[in-house]
Amino acid sequence: MSGETKTDFQIVNHSIPRRDGRVKVTGKAQYVADLRLIGMAYAKVLRSPLAHAKIISIDKSKAEAHPGVYCVVTGFDLDGLNPYFGHAVKDHPLLAIDKVRYAGEPVAAVVAIDERTAFEALEFIDVKYEELKGIFTPQEALAKDAPLLHEKKFEAGALRGFEGDVTAGQGTNICQTHKIQWGDVDKAFKEAAAVIEGDYYFPMTYAYAMEPYVAIADVTDQGVNVYSSAQHPFMVRHDLKNIFNLPVSKVRLIVPFVGGGYGSKSYTKVEPLVAACSWKAKRPVKLQLTVEEAMLTTRSDDAYTWMKTAVDKNGKIIARQAKIMMNTGAYAENSPLVVEKSTNRCVGPYAIANVLIENMSLYTNTVPASSYRGFGCAQVTLPGESQIDELATKIGRDPYEFRLQNAAKPGEEFFPGMRPFDGTLKQDLDTAAKAIGWGTPLAKGHGRTVAVSGSDAGAYPLTSTAVRVHADGSATIMTGSTELGQGSHTVLPQIAAEELGITYDKVNVISSDTAITPYDRSTGASRTTTLMGSAVQEACQEAIAQMVVMAADVLKVKKEEIQSVRGGVRCGEVELNWSQVISKFYALPDGEVIGRSYIRKSGKFAALPVFWEAAATGVELSVDEDTGKITMEKLATVGDVGLAINPALAEGQDIGAATMGMGIGLFEELVYEGSQLMNGSILDYRLPRFSDLPKQVELHLVQNRDGVGPYGAKGGGEASLNSMAANIANAVDKAVGVRIRQAPLTPERVWRALKEKNK
Amino acid sequence: MMPLRKFSIHQPSTVAEASQMLAQYGEKGRLYAGGTELLLAMKHDLLRYEHLVDVKTIPDLNRIELKNGALMIGGSATHRAIERSAIVKQSLPVLAEMETKVANIRVRACGTLGGNLCFAEPHSDPATLLTALGAKAHVQGKAGVRAIAMDKLITGAYETSLAGDELLVGVEIPVLAKNQRAAYLKFQLKERPTLGLALFLELDGDNIKKASAVVGSVSVSPTQSEQANRLLTGTRAQVEKQIGDAAEALANAADPVDDTEGGADYKRHLIGVFLRRAFVKALA
Ligand SMILES: Cc1cc2nc3c(=O)[nH]c(=O)nc-3n(C[C@H](O)[C@H](O)[C@H](O)COP(=O)(O)OP(=O)(O)OC[C@H]3O[C@@H](n4cnc5c(N)ncnc54)[C@H](O)[C@@H]3O)c2cc1C
Repeated sequence: MSGETKTDFQIVNHSIPRRDGRVKVTGKAQYVADLRLIGMAYAKVLRSPLAHAKIISIDKSKAEAHPGVYCVVTGFDLDGLNPYFGHAVKDHPLLAIDKVRYAGEPVAAVVAIDERTAFEALEFIDVKYEELKGIFTPQEALAKDAPLLHEKKFEAGALRGFEGDVTAGQGTNICQTHKIQWGDVDKAFKEAAAVIEGDYYFPMTYAYAMEPYVAIADVTDQGVNVYSSAQHPFMVRHDLKNIFNLPVSKVRLIVPFVGGGYGSKSYTKVEPLVAACSWKAKRPVKLQLTVEEAMLTTRSDDAYTWMKTAVDKNGKIIARQAKIMMNTGAYAENSPLVVEKSTNRCVGPYAIANVLIENMSLYTNTVPASSYRGFGCAQVTLPGESQIDELATKIGRDPYEFRLQNAAKPGEEFFPGMRPFDGTLKQDLDTAAKAIGWGTPLAKGHGRTVAVSGSDAGAYPLTSTAVRVHADGSATIMTGSTELGQGSHTVLPQIAAEELGITYDKVNVISSDTAITPYDRSTGASRTTTLMGSAVQEACQEAIAQMVVMAADVLKVKKEEIQSVRGGVRCGEVELNWSQVISKFYALPDGEVIGRSYIRKSGKFAALPVFWEAAATGVELSVDEDTGKITMEKLATVGDVGLAINPALAEGQDIGAATMGMGIGLFEELVYEGSQLMNGSILDYRLPRFSDLPKQVELHLVQNRDGVGPYGAKGGGEASLNSMAANIANAVDKAVGVRIRQAPLTPERVWRALKEKNK
Repeated sequence: MMPLRKFSIHQPSTVAEASQMLAQYGEKGRLYAGGTELLLAMKHDLLRYEHLVDVKTIPDLNRIELKNGALMIGGSATHRAIERSAIVKQSLPVLAEMETKVANIRVRACGTLGGNLCFAEPHSDPATLLTALGAKAHVQGKAGVRAIAMDKLITGAYETSLAGDELLVGVEIPVLAKNQRAAYLKFQLKERPTLGLALFLELDGDNIKKASAVVGSVSVSPTQSEQANRLLTGTRAQVEKQIGDAAEALANAADPVDDTEGGADYKRHLIGVFLRRAFVKALA
């Protein structure tokens, strides 16, 4: 671990221990689950056993008569609310209305004096269903005689995050389509020296977080107050404001620590339901899902991809075409954006002259899919990076050199209309290859590969913040960024301390309270260091500018005579630190200066993406040919992060993402049998463990200060997930000569492929 | 996992008292040891009991001792205690080694051997090994004490031959004689084994006089096949030639089915792989 570069930074680019580390490991950190409001009741949810059915009736009288029950809420009790939500497509009822669309969908909620009482009353609710034919795959959703999941037309959400139209709700099961095209792929394929073509499948996966969804809502005449494990409190506020038809100022979301998200906590989840419970019960209500229930709440889109890639006789990639079908489940959630992103991410990070990618996501009677770390990139990097290796093999090239030849160059506008590439893939690949011993002899049954990914990251640049500098020279950052474990509460004060020239310990962070902290669109898309980091930096600079004016006032000189130095100002012989400036200005040792910043799509953030998130990973693995079992031997991650504000945290994100990607490559997959999820618990859904990691792990950062963020930083934390499944598939091919185009590569799948080969 | 429904815990101080309690509560009561299976199932609302009878309050039911050439392991001895017991490590290392790989440290720390065997969850490591070792279960109920051969204890998935008021008080496991060898191997990807394979061999010079191969986890209970055991006897060279047929016979007896752990053909294949590996390991 040597991510620190030689710079004259005093606080940033140093691996300061994470601020929330001690409270978390000692169990003192507060999560929503730890909070209790006076008079608070508890809710439990009754879920549909059927995947697709009309709700004929719900008899809740027996449950409501159960001692300790305050009320039972169903889809029939929502008059007075706008019960449909969704930032992209308003297709999601907060409780099933008239019909259910997946097994596990909330149908009713019991509110009671405690959790057990609410749970015990669930079985007294009598729901009569009329079962409808279900559809479970995109292929079934497109069939001529397929039942329609959503009958009504939807309003497109105002915050969908992309400029194209929403295609949901047009009388088909299509949720969203997207297409990109340049050049002429047909012509290029005709002229190509070699072409590779294949079908790939990326599985449904669950973004396991230690903390399942939890929220407390208190709905009163004064407005709606919600404590939630939400990643994007401002997005949730928007949905709640619509549901309750309230001004923004009357909806308050408060997010304490979040116990991991990985995409699953982004956008609105249980908050509308809890708020409806509180509204009915007329008291604060807490709803805490179990892990099994969380697994019935969101997952990743699984993706069926047909892809074709071609090279000319010089080994230059000249064309890529793909058709993707994504299974988005019962509700759109954030999948329309996943579709757009996965379409774009089919290309990267290669400069390809002819491209045609067509993507479509379909509604099915399965758990709704939404954001998942990597955001559509992992789904298409499995085919994308597999084909790079397949092509290299076909034309007899070293896959690492083949990548070097074709990867986007720094500053190259490889994706028409987008920000020129701001990373250094050559260095990323070199570092990964070296780390896993590229070119050195390999044992039999071992395979070694490197892979890259580059995604259009950062989401939409809309972020604001305030930094309050206090009269004692300390400072408070008011940020809408949520601490999910990624380290924002360590990195942001590092930036403020660097700018203000004060010690790190003097900077405090107040976060994610929509009534107090300025607006931030979201904590996702690897954007916080880049966007919120820039906002904090600018806000500090604005505070300094104000304090220069104050100092001039205090010293009775012209502003131009004041020189700002680290931690204060100088005017001739006189030096004042910030504490002195503020205290003298107010003539009291108290008071403050508020520095502000508003970031929007303009200036250095005018071009999208905000940045290209690039990373390389390298693996060596071995395959037990008897059982098909893969053992990871070596792993290297290389995060191309511009400048790591906190190298240890950046590396921590990379190993976390790579481990998650390894899980998909090796064993993670939600399995449906007919209408039922077969492995909806972490006893049956196999997550990666520490013992699955190889003994040799190397974490590297490439820091060329080429990002738009503070000091040349840009985001990381997702990219090393994206290439892992492809890397594993490629390394298995190298090790034992079988090409598997589906993740995860379970022992059984590898064994079957070997059996097929040895036939 | 949902909140637990209400129940009462009863703390007997003798086996007889526990048995009496079980008889009294009938369907509404159940023995409770480490709770790693029982409480999990109750939290998933798969099982409901109003009365739990805690075997841990019965003194000495967790004792581990060596008696007349056999290991006696009390019903409430935890996996962790067995794994760390000097007596077990010395007298029957194959058992200690198997125990180190059961579940995870948290489950091993409170999960008991009695709970493992009596829950009769089909993916049990101990049940498979103890069957190959010819262990006996000692049980006690209203009708008194009796011994049940290991292969008669588990009668199906989640089913045993214990009467409602009977407790498993201990397991008697003959330790290996000088000419006896044993090995246990498993293949596991998820929380529970996909396959466990135990092999017991009795040698006479270079000859294998007696063999017992048991496969677990691939079907409802540990399985052996007389034919397979016969094919595993003879000279080492002979057995090496016959081992494929033995695996086939064992696979036929186990008759695995397709499930989320894998296809039947894959599991049949694994039986062959692990039988070969166990054979090499046992004779190493
Ligand atoms: C996550 C996880 C992973 C696991 N992995 C493995 C694995 O890899 N291999 C493996 O073999 N096992 C595995 N197990 C099973 C584990 O070994 C058992 O959970 C444990 O041994 C059960 O013991 P307990 O004391 O907790 O039983 P309890 O849960 O207390 O009881 C289980 C059942 O046994 C009955 N019972 C308990 N004691 C007695 C007794 N003395 N007489 C009669 N009946 C009794 C109870 O009435 C109950 O029905 C796993 C379990 C979990 C939860």
